[in-house]
Amino acid sequence: MLKNLFFFLFIFVAISVTAQKITKKSAAVNDTVKLQEVLVAVTLPLNNNDVVDFYRTNQFSTLDNITARLDGMSLIKRGAYALEPQVNGFSGGQLNVTIDGMRMFGACTDKMDPVTSYIEPTNLNKITVKQGTGSCQTGCNIGGAVDMTLLEPENDSTKTHFSSVAAGYESISQGKNLLVSLGLGKNKWNWLIDGVYRKNENYSDGNNRIIPFSQFEKTNIHSAVKYNPDKISSFKADALFDLAHNVGYPALPMDVSLAQAMLFAVEYQRKTTTELKAKIYFNQVVHIMDDSKRDSLYLLKNKPVGKSDSVYMRMDMPGKSSTLGAYVQLIIPWNAVNKLTVKADNYTNNSIAEMTMHMRYAGFTPEAPMYMQTWPAMLRNVTGIFIENSFYLSDNFTLVANGRVDYNIDNLQSKYGQEQFSVFNYSLPKTQSKLVKSLNLSAQYRFSKSISLIASTGYAERMPTIGERLGFYLFNAYDGYDYIGNPYLKAEKSNFLRADLQFTQSNIKVNFNQSFSLIQDYIMGITDAQIPAMNFYAKGIRVYSNVPNAKLYSADLQVLYSPLKSLSVFLLSKFTLGEINNSDPMPLIPPLKNSVAIQYEKNNLSLQAECESALAQNRINVDYGERMTPAYAVFNVKSGYRFSLSKLAFNAGLGVTNLFNKAYYEHLDWGRINRPGRSVELYLKVSY
Amino acid sequence: MKTIFSKILYILAISVLFASCNKNPDITPVNPLAGLTKLQEGYALGASAKVQIWGKKNFFMGYNKLTVVLLDSLNLTDTIKDAHIHFMPVMTMGMGMMTMQHACPIENPDEVPVNGVFPGALAFVMPTSTGGNWTLAVAVHNHKYDKEGTANFNITVDNPTPSVMSVFTAQAADSTKLVLSLVEPVAPKVGMNDIEFTLHRKESMMSWPADSTYTFVITPEMPSMGHGSPNNVNPVHVGNGHYKGKVNFTMTGEWKVNVAVQKNGNTISNNTYFTITF
Repeated sequence: MLKNLFFFLFIFVAISVTAQKITKKSAAVNDTVKLQEVLVAVTLPLNNNDVVDFYRTNQFSTLDNITARLDGMSLIKRGAYALEPQVNGFSGGQLNVTIDGMRMFGACTDKMDPVTSYIEPTNLNKITVKQGTGSCQTGCNIGGAVDMTLLEPENDSTKTHFSSVAAGYESISQGKNLLVSLGLGKNKWNWLIDGVYRKNENYSDGNNRIIPFSQFEKTNIHSAVKYNPDKISSFKADALFDLAHNVGYPALPMDVSLAQAMLFAVEYQRKTTTELKAKIYFNQVVHIMDDSKRDSLYLLKNKPVGKSDSVYMRMDMPGKSSTLGAYVQLIIPWNAVNKLTVKADNYTNNSIAEMTMHMRYAGFTPEAPMYMQTWPAMLRNVTGIFIENSFYLSDNFTLVANGRVDYNIDNLQSKYGQEQFSVFNYSLPKTQSKLVKSLNLSAQYRFSKSISLIASTGYAERMPTIGERLGFYLFNAYDGYDYIGNPYLKAEKSNFLRADLQFTQSNIKVNFNQSFSLIQDYIMGITDAQIPAMNFYAKGIRVYSNVPNAKLYSADLQVLYSPLKSLSVFLLSKFTLGEINNSDPMPLIPPLKNSVAIQYEKNNLSLQAECESALAQNRINVDYGERMTPAYAVFNVKSGYRFSLSKLAFNAGLGVTNLFNKAYYEHLDWGRINRPGRSVELYLKVSY
Repeated sequence: MKTIFSKILYILAISVLFASCNKNPDITPVNPLAGLTKLQEGYALGASAKVQIWGKKNFFMGYNKLTVVLLDSLNLTDTIKDAHIHFMPVMTMGMGMMTMQHACPIENPDEVPVNGVFPGALAFVMPTSTGGNWTLAVAVHNHKYDKEGTANFNITVDNPTPSVMSVFTAQAADSTKLVLSLVEPVAPKVGMNDIEFTLHRKESMMSWPADSTYTFVITPEMPSMGHGSPNNVNPVHVGNGHYKGKVNFTMTGEWKVNVAVQKNGNTISNNTYFTITF
């Protein structure tokens, strides 16, 4: 059945390839979101600029709010905070998430702190989402790449300084938001600082029930200084600090008392006909997770006294990850029709995660603490070379070929990790190395002024993550199993095909794309009945293993229609289908999701109504803890008004999300925990 | 030509030998008493020897590795390097007419010392109590002077928690009384550990020979978490009543290693276990 569907879709792709006519622009499959000033050229095919332009009415959108509305992107939700990005069904180690090309890794073994959770939209200039294997500029991966470009101090001769302060409120979670940004320019120096403070209490769902442990509080500060000694070169330094505390995860048995990230980077750029960019960076993530706020009283049987007894249990799971890296990138247009990009990079990541359990039976002295390293201390050093050549064959035809090799060295930092894994009869070498590669070809052809097609194909491999290689009893609250790494996992491989069809007229833009990945040695947890579970609440053990094959198909449709200058309609449909081993549905795949929005903008007033809906997901994998998710539709309205008083510019907004107070959750929401009910949002921004 | 060649080879071989000797820094003598404390000291009258007993800690109920040092009683500095040593532990219970005596499993040291000392072992089957006291006689046949004598010690045997010995009666027709002692792991760690037992049989009050005819099935578990560990290797007999295998601990904390002692495939122990906390 599924096979037929795939076949049919391919026929369709093939027909569209042969039958259509198009636009020249960078040929890579690349969607870019400009978050601050949004520039949309009418002749451009639809891209995410338009999307964010559409949703930027609320200055307080979290990064998750924005990424959720990008094509190809979905979010895995474990709480109100730190949603994990998924691109076309790929997530975690299958994606590259970078900041200005810098590698950064979360420190939580349970993926509770994706890198995106340490970045705020105010820090960013743009988000670039590349789908598929061709996105290997920042590292070999099989699913795609998300790169977040940090805000840069602009060299603007008309203005020597700017400042803005904004405050906002969300009724459902009593969410308070404060946002500040300041900039200063003098001579060849430019400086900026931006920061956010957010505090949310527990929110209520559509049934007016409070969702406990959905609170969070965070502070984020980013500062950058740029020096332009002349017209062609520049130096830039960035520092970013992000601190979240008291973050609840309603879908998990634990919360985060502290999640802290620091990032420092120094960059040199020189732009003549060739462009040079060199960067050195360091970042560190500390993630402290525990269950001190949860009910820790259990009733256990067969313990010291041999009958049911009450037990107090506490778990501490701190994790730390730091990354030091550098890269050099050169863009050389070596003749009139060829442009070469070469990038060499290296990074070293040092990760460790520990777990200590404390237990006490009522009336007894506490038991000896139980300690293990869920990620044994490990250094991972990766050296890569990326080469891409764009070949402009004609005004209508562009070919892009790129490739990358990554040489990966994993080095265990202590004997502890080796000894720990001897339990599973592994004699682990201290050092393991592996080469992964990627090779891609993409062609863009413009059939006519309004129609263009991009066809891409590629092959890529990716390294297993630390957790997949050396994870030690990682509890997965979704399927209820403890996960164990496999030191001898093979690289995951993907054969990728994609077609993007774009149609552009003065008042309508349509983008339809389809991606297909045939994955070999797909990495997932396979039940091992021989190994007993670690916890009394775990169902069993799953060992990360290479599954021979898996398939993922995605199709996205985006339409932006502006019948009048002041009125526009936007439609986004996302669909993903995945299967493993030729028959079983791949777990955690979202159903067809649509969002339709109408925006009216005239003079200083903007009004927007939006409907988000998803079909039911009935293609589920029960083995992996999935249950069917019902369909839903929610409505949001927003309004914005701009005015100025003397030198001050004001921007005020009022909106209602989940207008009809619908109780709903999405398929990727862990624990089937309802999303927030009706909420009134207010904000006011003052700029000088 | 050929001879020159072989000479060169010879010289090369010799130099390699020297080179490898030079690289070996292990010239410092091993101190056989490192980490041990002197538990008892006394003269073996008639043997011209002073007997010292060294151990990791005071005598305890369980398998005690003991090291005997014999000093020449003439100058008390020379050690005696050739001697026969016999342990004779006796527990005396009760008072007056009701007195009862028994010994415990013994591993006497070899005639030839190891690094100048005589390692042996005793497996005390009960602790010192108000109703019972241990004495330890060490008979020495000093081969240096060909003299014999015995040193007598009144010792205290502690009762450790958790217990490292199980004395039980086999659930079988012969109702043999067995002594199971935990020898290893002494310093347990997360990961794979050596596990070693000794098994002795009570033949009479004074005779407790080693027994090699039993088999073991071990199942470690962490009682508080309700889980065990994979890939354990059941101990098998390696000689002199010692059984060796592997036990896996996935984390620190309190572990309970359940031991099923079997004879001809039938479990003859009842709920025997050792608690290991680290």
